Amino acid sequence: MTATMRTRRERAAEGSQNNAPSVTLTLRATGRKWLFWLTAGLCAIVVSLISAMIVTGADSQGLSLAADNPAPGGGMAVVEVLRQQGVTVTVARTLGEARAAAADSHDSTLFFYDEEGYLGDQQLHAVAQLATRTVVADPDFQALRTLAPGVRFGGVALEEDSAEARCDLPAAANAGTLSPGGGTLTLPDASADVSSAPGATWTGCFPRGNDAFSVIERAEGRQTLTLVAPKEVFTNGSASTYGNGALALNLLGVGDSLVWYLPSLEDVASTGPPPLGELTPGWVTPTLLLLSIVVVAAAVWRGRRFGPLVAENLPVIVPAGETMEGRARLYARSSSRLRALDALRIGAVQRLARATGLSRAASLDQVVQTVAEVTGWTTSDVRSVLVDAVPTTDRDLIASSDRLQHLERATADALNSFSQGRMDT
Amino acid sequence: MTVTGRFVALVALGVVPIVVIGAMPGPAAVVLVIWLLLAVALGSVDLVLAASPRNLKISRVLPSRVRLGEAVDSELYLTNTGLRRMRGLVRDGWQPSAGAGDNRTSVLIPPGERRRVTIELHPFRRGERRVGEVTVRSFGPLGLWARQATLSAPGHIRVLPPFNARRHLPSRLARLKELDGRTSVMVRGQGTEFDSLREYVQGDDVRSIDWRATARRNDVMVRTWRPERDRRVVILIDTGRTSAVRIDREPRLDTAFEASLLLAALATRAGDRVDFLAWDRRVRGRVQGAQGAELLSRMVDAMAAIDAELIEMDWTGVPAQVRSITNQQALVVILTSIDAPGASTGLLSVLSQLTQRHRVIVASVTDPLPLRAIESRTTRTEVYRAAAAERSLLDVSRVSAAIRRLGAEVVTGSPAELPPTLADRYIALKAAGQL
Repeated sequence: MTATMRTRRERAAEGSQNNAPSVTLTLRATGRKWLFWLTAGLCAIVVSLISAMIVTGADSQGLSLAADNPAPGGGMAVVEVLRQQGVTVTVARTLGEARAAAADSHDSTLFFYDEEGYLGDQQLHAVAQLATRTVVADPDFQALRTLAPGVRFGGVALEEDSAEARCDLPAAANAGTLSPGGGTLTLPDASADVSSAPGATWTGCFPRGNDAFSVIERAEGRQTLTLVAPKEVFTNGSASTYGNGALALNLLGVGDSLVWYLPSLEDVASTGPPPLGELTPGWVTPTLLLLSIVVVAAAVWRGRRFGPLVAENLPVIVPAGETMEGRARLYARSSSRLRALDALRIGAVQRLARATGLSRAASLDQVVQTVAEVTGWTTSDVRSVLVDAVPTTDRDLIASSDRLQHLERATADALNSFSQGRMDT
Repeated sequence: MTVTGRFVALVALGVVPIVVIGAMPGPAAVVLVIWLLLAVALGSVDLVLAASPRNLKISRVLPSRVRLGEAVDSELYLTNTGLRRMRGLVRDGWQPSAGAGDNRTSVLIPPGERRRVTIELHPFRRGERRVGEVTVRSFGPLGLWARQATLSAPGHIRVLPPFNARRHLPSRLARLKELDGRTSVMVRGQGTEFDSLREYVQGDDVRSIDWRATARRNDVMVRTWRPERDRRVVILIDTGRTSAVRIDREPRLDTAFEASLLLAALATRAGDRVDFLAWDRRVRGRVQGAQGAELLSRMVDAMAAIDAELIEMDWTGVPAQVRSITNQQALVVILTSIDAPGASTGLLSVLSQLTQRHRVIVASVTDPLPLRAIESRTTRTEVYRAAAAERSLLDVSRVSAAIRRLGAEVVTGSPAELPPTLADRYIALKAAGQL
C-alpha cells in the first residue's frame, strides 16, 4: 500500500514538472502583490482611529450637566467633589431609577435637570415627592407650572454685575455671590400662593432687580424645593467662579445621599399602537439577514468570471455610401436645387444618348434632337426638361425630376415599340 | 476560489431551522450564526479537499488552417498530474470570432490519467484566431466551493478566405479549354502558337490545312493552335483605406481576394505564371513563383492575415514593386477602388508608367446602392439622394474614362459579379492573344 502510494507520489512529482504554467497567481503571490495596499489601508484605519479618539477626548459634546461629562458644560466637577466629601451620588436616567435610589435613603437630595422637557405633569409631581430636598436646575415653563405654581420667569439678568445673596438661606449666604447673567425667576403673588400650596414659605435669593431672583426656595414642612435658574452654577466650566461652586455644594451636599437625575427618552410615555418590531415574529430579522447573505453568495456564484476576458482586434469596416448620403444632405441643407437637378440631368442625358445609339461625344443639341424625334415631343419641351427649366422651389425640383423620369421612360417605350415593330415586319 | 449554486442553496436552506426553532429573536440569531458557520465550515472542507487546478498538463491538437465558413474540431488533452481526482469545469479561452460558443466542458480526471475535451469551432472572421489560456474550475467532493486557475496553453488557427467564387471556376475552365485546339483563323493572332497537326474533319477551315504535312502523310492534315502559355500575370491588391469600405455586407478587400483567387486559379490552369502582391505603404503579402495548387494555398495563406488599414495608398511605389516582380511584359491586374477623381489622382499619376510596358486592368467593386437610389425619387430627400448618387456615378465614369485614356482597361461589378467579370475579361484577352 505504502509502496503504491510512494510510486503515485513520485509519478505526480515527475508529472508536475511539466504542468501547464499558471497565469493565476497563488494565494501567497496575490498577498505579496497586495501587501503594500493592505498595509497602507491598515495604517490609514489606525491613524484615523487614533486621531478620532484624540479629537473626541478633547471636546466631546456629552449631555450637559451629566455626572460623567468632563466637558465645560458637564456636571462632573460638582459630583466628584461631593463624592470626595462622602456624599453617595447615584446617577439616574429614568424616573424608576431615581425613585429606587431615593427610596434607599430617608434623607436624600434630588438634583433634577430636564433639558429636553421629557417629563409630563404627573411625572414632575412624582419627582417633587421623591426626596426631602429637591434642587431643580434651570426649570422650564412646564416644570415651574407644575412644581411651583405662581413662579414666573423674570427675564435674563444683565451681564454687568454679579449677584449677591441678600437672603438668609444658609447655602446662599455661604456662597455670597453668583456669576453675572443667567436666567431669573419671580416670587409668586401672595394670593396665588395660598391657593396652590398653603403653608409654604418662599425665599428669594440673589435678587436681580424688578423682583427677580436667581434662586428661589420653597419650604413646606420638611420638604424643600430649590429652583436655580442659571444652570452655570453646576457646570464644570463656571463652578469655580464667584460663589457658584459653593452654592452648588451647599445645596446638594446637605444629606448623605444625592440622586443625580437627568430624564432621558425612556421617561417619555409611549402612546399609540405597539411598534412593528414588537408585532413581527422573532425569526423575521434573522431571515432577512440570511436572505441578504444568500443574495451576496448568489452574486459571487453567478458573477465570478470564468477566466480572463479575451481581447480581439477588430478590423476597420466603413459602410459604403456615406459620402453619397453626406452629399445628399449637403444639397438638401443648402437647397442647391439647380445643382441637384443638373446632376440628375447629366445622368439622364448620358443614358438617353446611349439608348438612342449616339456616340459618347455627341453634343447636347444632338441628344435633344434625337430624343424629340424618337418620342414625338416638341424640341422645346425636351430642351426644357433636359436643360432649360430652373427649379425655384422644392416642389419644382420634384416635378422636374418626375418629368425627367417620364422622358426617359417615354424614350425607352418608343424605342421598344420601334424595335418590336421592326421585328414584326 | 468561487462558490457554486449548491452552496447558495445550502445557505438559503438555513431559513427552515431559523423559522422552526427561532420564534424569539435571540435563538433565531443564534441559529443564523450557527448555520452560517456550518455552511462556511463545509465549504472550507470542500475547498481543502478539491484537487488543485494547477496540477494539469495541457496539450492541444489543432488543424493549422480552416476555410472561413467551415467548422473545425479543437482538441484539448488534460492530464491530471496531482494526487486527487479532479471534478472540474474547463473553459478554453478562444477569441470570440473563433466561434467556440459557450465552451464549458465538465471533466472528471482520476489522478495520473488523461482526458480529451473537444470543442467545435465555427470561425466567422478571416485571419489568425488565437487562444491563450485554459481556465479550470475544480470542485470539491461536496460541490460547494471550487478552486479556479487559469493556465497558459497557447494555440492558433489560421482562418483562410472562403473563396466562394470557386463555383465560377468550372464554367470558366471549360471556356478556357474551348480555346485550345481551335483551328479557326479567327483566333490566330500574335498571342497564339502552334499546337499540333491532326486529320481534317468536315467543318474545319480549309485555310488551316497544312499542305506539306498533307503531302507527307497522304492524308489531309490541319494545323491547330492553342493560346500562348507562360505569360505573366501580376495581381496587385490595394489594402489602403478605401478597401475597408463595406459594400453589400462585404469589405471591398474581401471581394478583391475572391476575384484575385478566381483569376489566379484560372490563369495557373491556363499555364500562365501568377504573382500576387498586397500593398498599401508596404508589402502586406507577396506570393511569387508558385504554380498550380501550391499557388492557391500560398495565396489564401498570405491573404488570411491581411486587413485593410486606414492609411492612404502609396501609388508611387507601385511601378517599382511591379518591376521587382517581372521585367517582361505582363498582365497587371490592379484591384482597387474607383471613386472620386480626387481620390484617384495617385493611381492616375502612375498608371502611364505601367501601361508603357504592361497590359493593365483596373478592377473595382462598385456599389449597387447609387443605382437603386437613382430609381426612387418621390420625396424631396429622395430626389436629393438621387442627385448625389448620380453625381457619384458620374465621378466613377469620369475616373474610368481617365483610366481608359491612359491605356488601361476598367472592370467593375458588384461584389457578386466582379470575380466572374474579371475572369471573363482575362479569358477574352487570352482568346484574343493580347497577353
